[in-house]
Amino acid sequence: MWVDYTKGLLEESGIAPDRLKMFNLSSSMAPKFKEAVDEMTEVAKKLGPTKIVSKAA
Amino acid sequence: MIVAERKPFEEIKAMIEGCKKVLVVGCGECVSVCMAGGEKEVQILASQLRLAFEEEGKELEAGETTLERQCDKEYLEEIKDKIDDYDAVISMACGAGVQFLAEMYDSKYVYPALNTQFIGVAEREGEWSERCRACSDCVLAETGGICPIAVCAKGLLNGPCGGTNDGKCELSKEKDCAWTLIYNRLNKLGKLDNIREIFPAKKYSVQTTPGRRIHEAFKEKE
Repeated sequence: MWVDYTKGLLEESGIAPDRLKMFNLSSSMAPKFKEAVDEMTEVAKKLGPTKIVSKAA
Repeated sequence: MIVAERKPFEEIKAMIEGCKKVLVVGCGECVSVCMAGGEKEVQILASQLRLAFEEEGKELEAGETTLERQCDKEYLEEIKDKIDDYDAVISMACGAGVQFLAEMYDSKYVYPALNTQFIGVAEREGEWSERCRACSDCVLAETGGICPIAVCAKGLLNGPCGGTNDGKCELSKEKDCAWTLIYNRLNKLGKLDNIREIFPAKKYSVQTTPGRRIHEAFKEKE
């Protein structure tokens, strides 16, 4: 529910909603965690960079 | 509480076109409870605006603050030292709060971020329904605590109309017939005779616009 809502907020703001996905994992699920990171890395690579530059330094 | 919902993002974004610095001001009362204009919603809107402007290569500084409420001057005063730093203000209060803020800082353009909808109650988490039209002439004593003005689609004082059908309104099967609800409530309370009373036409003379109320203790003695 809240993930879909937040995807909508991103879309409104001009950010691809696919950049957000929720994975349910426990601390003992390291292989699954890696799979999730790999999946999101591929998504980020496919979408390319946004124009947003982090001002946090 | 006063129930409101946020305007579409594109509408808010278009309002502040050309602004370089905006202050997003939330309200900690009703609109905070109905998840439309509280601290969290201020953070979301300000973040969205920053992202959207930056994505379009435009400059925008969006400040954030949430006041206890925007319908009291003592709380609006809290932004007096910072408001001059901004080109415009986006108020996330109800229509009353937006106007009071705009009145107090009349040299600053104040934009509304919400559409104010009604006076209502929280049915369940994330769902609200209208219960009062603020008609200045309450009839709830006779109707078993159910308002025919706010709950009946036609606002009928003497119902039900011919459109009632198995407890539902002719306008929608999703909508309860207010007068069936009133009948059932009065029956439960043993006050069914109340329904025989014919209400005269409503006293619209008490619905002065704009409404104003002065507490007895604050009235000037003649």
